[in-house]
Amino acid sequence: MSEVEEMLKRIQGHKGVIGIIVVNSEGIPIRTTLDNSTTVQYAGLIHNLSNKARSVVRDIDPQNDLTFLRIRSKKHEIMVAPDKEYILICIQNPSDN
Amino acid sequence: MFSDETLDAIEFKSSWKKERRVRDSSTQTSEIITNDVAAQSIDRHEIEVQTDEVYEKATPYRFVNDKSQELKDFLERVEPMLHEQLEKNLHSHAFDGYDVNWHEETKTVTCVHTLSHADLEPGLNVTGLSWNSTGSTVAVSYGRFDHEDWCTHKSLLCTWNVDRKNINPKKADVAVDVSSCLMCVAFHPEVPAFIAGGTFNGEVQLWDLSQPDNPFLASSGIEDDSHRDPVSRVVWVLDPEGKGKNKYKLVSISGDGKILVWQASPQTKEIKLLDGFLLLAESMPRSMRKGRLRPDAEMGVTAISYTHEDKTLFVVGSEGGGVFKCSMNSSDRVAATHIQLSVPLKNPVSFAFTPHVGPVYAVECSPYHRNLFLTCGIDQTARVYSMLQAKPVLELEPAAGYIFSARWSPVRPSVFAVVTGEGQLLIYDLVVHKVNPVCTLEAGSDKKPVYTLEFNLHNRQLLATGDELGDVRVWQLNDDLTIQDPGEETVLADLADSALE
Repeated sequence: MSEVEEMLKRIQGHKGVIGIIVVNSEGIPIRTTLDNSTTVQYAGLIHNLSNKARSVVRDIDPQNDLTFLRIRSKKHEIMVAPDKEYILICIQNPSDN
Repeated sequence: MFSDETLDAIEFKSSWKKERRVRDSSTQTSEIITNDVAAQSIDRHEIEVQTDEVYEKATPYRFVNDKSQELKDFLERVEPMLHEQLEKNLHSHAFDGYDVNWHEETKTVTCVHTLSHADLEPGLNVTGLSWNSTGSTVAVSYGRFDHEDWCTHKSLLCTWNVDRKNINPKKADVAVDVSSCLMCVAFHPEVPAFIAGGTFNGEVQLWDLSQPDNPFLASSGIEDDSHRDPVSRVVWVLDPEGKGKNKYKLVSISGDGKILVWQASPQTKEIKLLDGFLLLAESMPRSMRKGRLRPDAEMGVTAISYTHEDKTLFVVGSEGGGVFKCSMNSSDRVAATHIQLSVPLKNPVSFAFTPHVGPVYAVECSPYHRNLFLTCGIDQTARVYSMLQAKPVLELEPAAGYIFSARWSPVRPSVFAVVTGEGQLLIYDLVVHKVNPVCTLEAGSDKKPVYTLEFNLHNRQLLATGDELGDVRVWQLNDDLTIQDPGEETVLADLADSALE
């Protein structure tokens, strides 16, 4: 097993983690632990949102930059770790104790 | 004494003949002018043109295969941060008990629209209401319940789009003329413009309201293969075996005791009889049968509802007050009757419940419990029955006159509403109180009877009622009546279980 797979597996091992998606800079999914249609939906939407969020942060202060994005919903928390090349999306159900 | 005498001769000239006078004259018609012109029919040429068919290649979805070092570096960078956040999240209580309220809270039930059509023939009542599949449009059928002989009324099918900003409460968006009183309407569950209705003559008709010039699609006609009495209700039923355009079947019931199943789809523009049932007086419990009624006489069907889980099972209410559990799979052929249809009629009844006294006006199966259903009738009672026993599990007497319609809320399992002959809309919530309504509203103009009531399945805050004067009211329900509490279904389940004790 490659190191990449191992890292994803470690993250997936956390309690309440529903899925992980890695998306490239064009919004195309590279790795996923979810089914295809869900992955495509998350990838497209979150990619747009994270770009938007980054431009908001940089518009307010050009010296600043987005490092992490968390979306709290009734059912889940979606965590987004953005980067120049990739975006890591992790969906967690925090109340799932 | 006598002497000869010679008398002189007297000459008369003939005076009656005159010499004719002749005069010459001449006449001449004007010259006839003729013109020659050549005419020739047109030569037509036909040619067929066809573009090449474009084949869309379905590419199987593939993820980008990226095994680069950058990906690894990226993951190594973000992994610790993510681990930390995931761990924190699990132990965080920051959002405990936190709830965002996105919509405006409403505490009261208010009448948001009062709709009436100005060109309506006076004296027509609202006989039926239906919300379309998107929940934006309400259709209203106008007719009368008090016919003494032939129906000669000019009835209408009207629709209003309540989502529209500039809604005209005095004039319908669409008004379709119907030759006799329209007794009921039902929008197709999926196609928003497709609507079915039943007339006083016994016709089942179909319209496509997206064609404003000629909305009429099809009619069952007044033939052998149709009803002979007013159609009391039409419903669309999901056909478990039907596919594509025949996913839904149309079921109509009538005062002649027939329950007819039709194939009617928006595409085919025709209506075809598939199956038929006949409700007979013999189905009535023996103790309730009137002495002089022949057991093979048919009983008028006034209300019908299909269960939500099993679409072959339905409940009907009859003119005589009977409430019956019926099955579409019945094979009990009705023997000799004077009614001749192209399909054999079957007796659908599998179980008889304790009847109402007098006509049943509405039955509806609970959308949240497979065994419970609601009935109401002229005996001023609204009842909740369980499929498992003959006696009702709950009986309400609001003492507000005849109860003309009763409907379960589509969102709150324990809520239902009834409309009464004294013009009231009563909303019951079994969680709050089993006997008294939680909400009493004046829904009829001048306390006139309210005949129909329909919840909006799509926009859960809306409810429409229609009264004797032809006015339709659209009500906005409050949050208490539209937001489901957790564990509410157990109240319903307890009620159903009380039948078995």
